[in-house]
Order: sequence, then structure tokens, then C-alpha cells
Amino acid sequence: MEERELDLYRHTDAVNELLARYGVKFGIYKNNEFKEQLFPFGPIPRIISAQEFAVLEEGLKQRVTALNLFLKDIYGEKHILRDKVVPEEFIYAGSGYAALCEGVLPAQGVYSHISGIDLVQGKNGEWYILEDNLRVPSGASYPLIARSLCRQSSPATFRGLQIDDNRNYAELLRRTMDYVNPGGLPVILTPGRYNAAYFEHSYLAELTGAVLVSGSDLVVEGDYLYFKDYSGRKERVGVVYRRISDDYLDPMNFLPESVIGIPHIYDVYRKGNVALMNAPGNGVADDKGIYYFVPKMIQYYLNETPKLQNAPTYLPYYPEDMDFVLQNFDRLVLKDVAEAGGYGVVFADRMTREEKERFLAMLRAEPRRFIAQEVIDFQDIDIFDETGARAPRKADLRAFVLMADEPLVWHSGLTRFSRNPDSFIVNSSQGGGFKDTWVLSR
Amino acid sequence: MGVISIEHTDRLYWLGRYTERVYTTNRFFAECYDTMLDQLREAYDDFCRRLEIPNIYTSSKDFVRRYCFDSEDTNSIFSNLLRAYDNAVVLREAIGSETLSYVQLALYAMQRARLSDAPMLELQKVNDNIVAFWGMADDRILDENTRNIIKVGKRVERIDLYARLHFSGADMSREVSRLTGRLPRTQVKYDAARLAALRELVQKEQIDYPAIVQLVGAVVQL
Repeated sequence: MEERELDLYRHTDAVNELLARYGVKFGIYKNNEFKEQLFPFGPIPRIISAQEFAVLEEGLKQRVTALNLFLKDIYGEKHILRDKVVPEEFIYAGSGYAALCEGVLPAQGVYSHISGIDLVQGKNGEWYILEDNLRVPSGASYPLIARSLCRQSSPATFRGLQIDDNRNYAELLRRTMDYVNPGGLPVILTPGRYNAAYFEHSYLAELTGAVLVSGSDLVVEGDYLYFKDYSGRKERVGVVYRRISDDYLDPMNFLPESVIGIPHIYDVYRKGNVALMNAPGNGVADDKGIYYFVPKMIQYYLNETPKLQNAPTYLPYYPEDMDFVLQNFDRLVLKDVAEAGGYGVVFADRMTREEKERFLAMLRAEPRRFIAQEVIDFQDIDIFDETGARAPRKADLRAFVLMADEPLVWHSGLTRFSRNPDSFIVNSSQGGGFKDTWVLSR
Repeated sequence: MGVISIEHTDRLYWLGRYTERVYTTNRFFAECYDTMLDQLREAYDDFCRRLEIPNIYTSSKDFVRRYCFDSEDTNSIFSNLLRAYDNAVVLREAIGSETLSYVQLALYAMQRARLSDAPMLELQKVNDNIVAFWGMADDRILDENTRNIIKVGKRVERIDLYARLHFSGADMSREVSRLTGRLPRTQVKYDAARLAALRELVQKEQIDYPAIVQLVGAVVQL
């Protein structure tokens, strides 16, 4: 393996050239200006053995199945609230809950069609779930295209190696779309070129054969959603893989000032005439506060022991947890439940005294707003630094679970790493890079 | 892909136009650049006049720098390439990553040319990639309508530029004939009367170039 890995490393420049050629970029806004940047690629892959991935796969299926059942329950019968497994405040006070979704059952009962589950591996080899992303998780396209380009630039690396082929992501996605499609065109709805993940939107449209559309291409007439072509003809749309958030989806039902949404699309969805992937309202299940309760959901809905564990988490909402957090503050990481993308994450040991005092005052005033976690000493993965030397960096893994007639775990994933040796933050928007994730076939 | 939105139709058409504009202006810039080296330093004046772009340049050096590489100069080759890229990048699923990559490569070549003291070598690569883009579009875009809209844009732009540059009647006639053959194979609307008038204009012994410029942009009705 070592020799073959080295062959890929020799071709890093070629891989980066190909990534640039195919426009593998993400957009960021800096000083109110939009900039497209190449997503830095680290050629040293994350390698997961077949046995290890089998455990992950079972755990991920279990978790996403439970999360889907939770969403169905919350917007339906609410057994889990009545049985006081999850306190009501965590549902109704959270920004992810959408009252509008009450009583609405999506096609085939699937809420989270594409789930991005963030994990890290501790130094003890245990995997921990860090976060569930059930709204618009992105990132699959990067390892997907990187694998193809690495195979081109370094065939010797892959010759004879038994790595699960990850180039089936588009098939899995299309299967997921087709499963919930009540009839009509499959489309991918993008907010447009200036979205950070526009490359992904367009690339997945190309690979799945779905039509890439913006809000102005779609119109609701009667109880159906239509795609308007250039000659004015309308074709019915059956499934929308939307890459815009709930708020901007439909100005008549969500934020009225949205100019990128489609008026009344939610009404068509409610009538079952179009499928929206992922379902609106999913934010209630991937809130950082709700994360604490996911192991309890697994027990509650599936009557199973969780196969994957959360990072040790405390909810200052509970007085005993608040006491613990106050006593152990300096060794914890605090997360604002309303933030995402690596923002709103603070490491207590890096705060100044004034910052600490300010933060603790906020914590006492709004305990529901924060969770506290033990800092997991997770495994570093080597990258090549600016000098070309191998250097260890923090890295996480976003695994993708697609829900069709059964949960499908993609045998790959996005490994994001921090380029800063002192940082745990791996997000691309904060300068992180990415790696391919190899799942060995045996 | 089968179905094309209004926005995509427009973008495909302008992708054809801008890639052609980059290609043809780059070709003629190369001639002008050569002349300016040791024959006529002010050759850019005639170049601007023929293309009907304002001569805002202070010297041949300034002309090379700004006409080729200044993204703020709306007439520059770089600006036109950026517009081609802006249209191409939102058409990935329609034209394919492979086809799109040649526009991206043209852009990289342009960025390298900008930094070079012998820019013609890299500018040649810009055109090499544009030609590869067209070839790839022809070969790899399976939807005929999509392919033809790009080609119509390309033909319209070429006729416009050739007329401005006073190409021969034979050249004009050939390009108009290509457009005439292509248009009915797209599903875009066009003005048949204007197309007929254009055909007549290029057949005349004394070609009325300004009339062609005026007419050709109005044939396609997006």
C-alpha cells in the first residue's frame, strides 16, 4: 500500500491541475465580494477498512432511520414529546421547527433523503458522531470527482488495490429521487452561481440527468409544479432536489422577501404532487440541541442500542449539566445551537478572562442556546503542508446516507481537514481542505 | 437533456457569441500586435476604428495591456472571455464538464498570458482551447438543440465581426449560408425576413457592411 500511495503523491500536481480544469471550486464572500476558490485537495486519503466501515454503515443506517422516524413523529403524533423523552422546549423554541409542516407527510414517508453525518475518530479508534445535517448537506461531489481524477493521474495507485468504487453516488441520488417522484421531471433547484456549493449543484445535475433550475424556471399552476421551457411549454416536475433553505423556498409560505423561491411550491408539496428533497422542517432534527437526544431516539423508536456514539455532550438546560459545565468549563468546547459551518464554536481554554466572563453570562441567561462537549482528542491525518512535508492535521468525515426504499450508505465520504496546525475547524469556508475517503473492499 | 429553460437558451446563445468574439478578436489582435512590433506602432488605432471600439489607449503598450488583459475594459478580450465563462459555468449539466473545462482552460491561459512578456504564446493557447471547446461541443453535446443554439450564437457573432472587419463577399456569403442552414435546426425563434435580407446583402457586389452589422443581431429573437 505504501508504495502505491507514494505514486499518487507524486502526481499531486496533476490532480490539482485537473481539479482546476474541471472548475472544482467553492464560492465565498469576503468583504461583500464573491470569490471562487479552488477547494484545496490533500492527496493522502482517509482509509477505512471494510470491517470498520461495516460497523459505521450499520450505525449510520440506524441513526438516519431513527431521525426520519423522529421527524415523522414530531410533525405527526408527537409520541416522543408525550413520553417526555425529548422536552418540548427543544422542539418549539428551536429555529428548525416549522409549524407549517404539522400534519404533512412527505412522499413515501421520507423526510431526510440525503443526510450528511459528521464524524470523527478518536485516538482510541472509536468513531463519534459530531453533527447530523438533514437540511441541505453538501460535499459529496468533491470526493466523487477527486476519485475519478486521481484514477486518471495515478493509475498505478489504483491498479490491484481493492477500494470500493465511489463513483456510484449519482446513481444512489437518482434512485433516491425516483423513489419519491410522484411523476414528472427530476430537477435540482439552485439559488444560482453565487452559492458556495454551485459547483456541486451543477455537477450532480450533470451526473444524475436532472435538470438544473433556478426559481424563475419553475411555476405553480393549479395543484402542480411546472418547468417552463424557452418556448413557453410547461412540463410537470415530480421531484425537486432543492439546494436552498426552507426560508427561501416559497415566499408565500416562508420568508415573503425571498426572490429565489417559487410561490406556492409548498402547497403543491403538501398535496403530494411534488416531492421536495430534503423535506421542509428537517431543521428540527439536526439542531445541535436535539443532537443530544439522538441516542435516546434510537432507543425509543427502534428499541436498539445506538451503534455509533455521540461525542460526550452536556445540555446546560438541565441544572445538573449546567453545574458540570461550570465546574469543567475550561476543558469543554461550547457550541451555539443556532450556528453552523464551524461558526459559533468556542474552545473554553482559548478564551481570555473577559471573554470567559461574557460567555458565562450569556450561558446563564440562555442555557438552551448552547451545548457543551468534551474536546475529543481525535486522530490526526497527514497532509502535505506548504513545504511539501507530511504534517498531521485535524480531520473529520462527512458520511452520506441516502434514503430510498432502504437506507443507502455511500461507500466514501468527504474528509475535511484543517490546514492550520492549531485548529480543529475543518470547514472549507474557514480555509479547510478535503481528501478522498477510501473504503477498502476487504 | 431535452428541455431547455429560457435562461439557458439565452446563455447558450451568448456562450456561442462570446467564444467566437474571443477567438476572432484574438486572431486579429495577433496580426495587429505583430505590426506594432516594428512596423506601425499606432496600428491599434485602425484596429479600434474597424471594430468600432473607442480608442482609449495611450500607446501600443497600453493597448496590449488593456485591450487584452484589463477585465475592467468591457471591450477587452479578457472581459469577453470572462463573459463566455460566466455563461458556460452555469451550463455544466447542459454542455458537460468535459466541454466546460476548455473554457476554464482558456481562462487559465489568459491569466498566464497576462503575466508573460511574450503573451502571444499563451494567447494562442486561449484560441486552441476555444477551438477544442467547439470541437468538444460538437462531439459530446448529445442534444441537438443545445448544440445548435451555441453554433447559431457563434455564426451570428462571426458575421458581425467579419462585417466590421470588411471581410470579402465570399467569406461573408459562406458564413451567412452556414447560419441559414443552422437556424431551422434549432428551436429558437428567428426572423425569416431579416435572414432573407441578410442573404441578399452578402450577394451584392458592393457589400453594405454597416447594414449587415445592423441586421445580423436582430435575426435571432430570444
